[in-house]
Amino acid sequence: MKNENSQNDLELSDNSTESSRRNFFKKTASIGAVAAATALSANQATAGDDPLIMHHVKWGQKLGDPVTKNRYGIPSAYEHNNTRRNTKLLASGNFQASIAVCPIHESEGIITPNGLFFSRCHGGTAHVDPNEFRLMIHGAEITKDIVLTLEELKRYPRVTRTHFIECPANGGQEWRGPQFNSLQFAKGFMSSAEWTGVYIKDLIKDLGIKPGAQWMLAEGSDNSEMGRTIPMDKVWDDAMLVWGQNGEALRPEQGYPVRLLVPGWEGNLCVKWLKRLEFSAEPFYCKEETSKYTALKKSGKAIQHFYANEVNSTVVTPSPEKPWTNLKDGDIVEIEGLAWSGMGTITGVDISFDGGKSYVEAQLKGLILPKSWTRWSYMHTYKKGETLLLTSRAMDDAGYIQPTVDEETGVLGVEGVYHRNGVETWEVTAEGKVNHVQIRS
Amino acid sequence: MFKLDRKLIISASVATVAALFVAGCVEGKATPAGELTMNGKPTIDGGTYSPVANGMTGPYAVNTQETANINHGRRATANELKAWDTDVTPTSPPPPGSGTVSEGEELYEAQCVMCHGDFGSGGGGYPSLAKGNAYKLQKTLTNQRNKPDNDGPVRVFGSYWPEASTMWWYIQSGMPHPNTKSLSDDETYALTAYMLSINELRVDGEVVEDDDFELNQDNFGKIEMPNKNGFEPNIDGPGALDDVRKYYANPTNFGAIKVKPSERCMKDCQKPTAKVVRIKEGGGIRDFLPPISTVRDLPKKEGGFDPKAAYEANCAMCHSSFLAPGSSDWAGYTGKGIAKVYANGIKGTEGGMPAKGGSSLTDTQFKSVVDYLIAGK
Repeated sequence: MKNENSQNDLELSDNSTESSRRNFFKKTASIGAVAAATALSANQATAGDDPLIMHHVKWGQKLGDPVTKNRYGIPSAYEHNNTRRNTKLLASGNFQASIAVCPIHESEGIITPNGLFFSRCHGGTAHVDPNEFRLMIHGAEITKDIVLTLEELKRYPRVTRTHFIECPANGGQEWRGPQFNSLQFAKGFMSSAEWTGVYIKDLIKDLGIKPGAQWMLAEGSDNSEMGRTIPMDKVWDDAMLVWGQNGEALRPEQGYPVRLLVPGWEGNLCVKWLKRLEFSAEPFYCKEETSKYTALKKSGKAIQHFYANEVNSTVVTPSPEKPWTNLKDGDIVEIEGLAWSGMGTITGVDISFDGGKSYVEAQLKGLILPKSWTRWSYMHTYKKGETLLLTSRAMDDAGYIQPTVDEETGVLGVEGVYHRNGVETWEVTAEGKVNHVQIRS
Repeated sequence: MFKLDRKLIISASVATVAALFVAGCVEGKATPAGELTMNGKPTIDGGTYSPVANGMTGPYAVNTQETANINHGRRATANELKAWDTDVTPTSPPPPGSGTVSEGEELYEAQCVMCHGDFGSGGGGYPSLAKGNAYKLQKTLTNQRNKPDNDGPVRVFGSYWPEASTMWWYIQSGMPHPNTKSLSDDETYALTAYMLSINELRVDGEVVEDDDFELNQDNFGKIEMPNKNGFEPNIDGPGALDDVRKYYANPTNFGAIKVKPSERCMKDCQKPTAKVVRIKEGGGIRDFLPPISTVRDLPKKEGGFDPKAAYEANCAMCHSSFLAPGSSDWAGYTGKGIAKVYANGIKGTEGGMPAKGGSSLTDTQFKSVVDYLIAGK
């Protein structure tokens, strides 16, 4: 089948055929001098031929690495820019009480590689000896107080689930206006993994939970001894203790050997380096329950125990990091993004090209799982020089839809820090650059 | 049988709600929409719940075999429970002990001031602990920085936190930051007493002003926190979970919006006053580490060790602020010999210097960073 586009590609690939020809001969001359012996002998290169095709590649003739190298594999050296990043603004004085954010502009699918999973800690990453791990389950509202080793914990029936974990401060720097011209920093306080562990409801089933039990304290063994109070409803639903992350042990940054996972809820509730679960009738008022992780509303009242990360979405391609500056007029490109909700399953995503004045439906792709990243897609024909305001808007099966920036600040004001899920907008400039903007009245 | 009946009742009760949203589900997808109730009550977070039905919870299959008396692990001993059950809450007060404001101030000056600043004023990115009279500052919580000249709300211990028990527990379990769980009960009382004094808080009707004021187990419960009722939903008492369920059943409480998918706005969705707000010229946040790049190339060959870069990454946050010696005030430290300075830096000090500043530098690298700092950067 004749492909007119590809014909166009060839013709449009350089503005000046003459200069392109000159460059090509220059390149082939120099490559030829070095690598004459490796030229594919049957072919005589002409101006339109790519020397990378016309010559053997440098890795194609010598032996590669033996299988004994990198017994635990590492990414290609060329991928070194695909990495977590920090900024001093997001550090409480040092990088032990700080966050390293996930490069979601490079993310593929709905799973984050373990080495790129965002990392937040309050007293540094602890390195726990799994042989010295102990989990204590106790409290006034449980009949049988027990201690488990890691091996004993792993005897309970395993559950494997795919969920994102999101810091509720994701986007929290931008209540008063956009700050980060970067998808990684604007939305990268989250990552997603397939987790393996045990439902807490299975763990405590035979320990005699009393009817007065309303709360479960989860406490870490690290420097900060991070603790949070979880209501029993979540325990009877889907709260888990997990030790597996994408088919291997949790990374130290994720709480090795065991962390709490409360699917869909604030990341800080998913206490890492876990040591203790205590069941109680009264709440604990842990250090991070009021000093942080409460959302101060316009009314002056603050929301405490603000559990679920609400329905949210972002355009991933294009992004400030991955602009459209190399597109040609008429290119058909995919606008692709992520949608997620800690309150249920994504049911649909709309995309706007005018910053939210009007929307069309995008399509969901791949696995559509509860409390999980969900991919969405819209095919777009790019017009050279067009300016766009790309805004995505997601919905979930609990019935929620993302608010506009105005709708959200109308209730919460601009001092809440946490749980910002108003729609985000990328401005695509005439040159194809992408800038983070907001639409406000 | 009872189970089945109950399920039917629950299903019936949510049927009307579910019907509203089924229309929004993507056609042809098998996963049923979650339910907005759990065991007949609204879900605790306002989200959906997927009960196990036909061996499935949502899209996941589960093992439904019944088991009883799984018996892994062992009973905790009384001493073990005592060793780990150290939480301090409004209903579980701190252990016996006492400490005065002046004792607390002495500890604060020795172990806390380098991060939290004079009188808890903060600095270097570490949290402030006090900004003046807590009762007056509590009134700032309605402040909104929605105009350039507006002051924001002051959210420090005295003006914002609902419970003093949180401070006691925080200090003993999580402070001082580089050497946590090192303070005795009496020291924790003393530091908490100092926190009360710098926030000008009242205990049993009296403002804590006197340096000799002693905080102990008896008067701890009489600390008067001005923002005690500043939080929602209610989480205290036996009806707490019902209060939480009720709160999150109403989207307007927490800035959320529900809409029937068929009624969501697709056209003319904006006010005419809507405008594009851009990152301010020269503003925004750019000090990204490492700098943002999506280039696929080989990493630059590691050159020689760069003490400046290592200093910037590991030390500057304290040593380039007033929290720790900068480059001009080293005379008092180098008098005992540079070897002592190296050793203190490598091992850390009680004064708040974490071992090697919390970095993973080798000793040799660390020493070259110390040289760089003392030489005046």
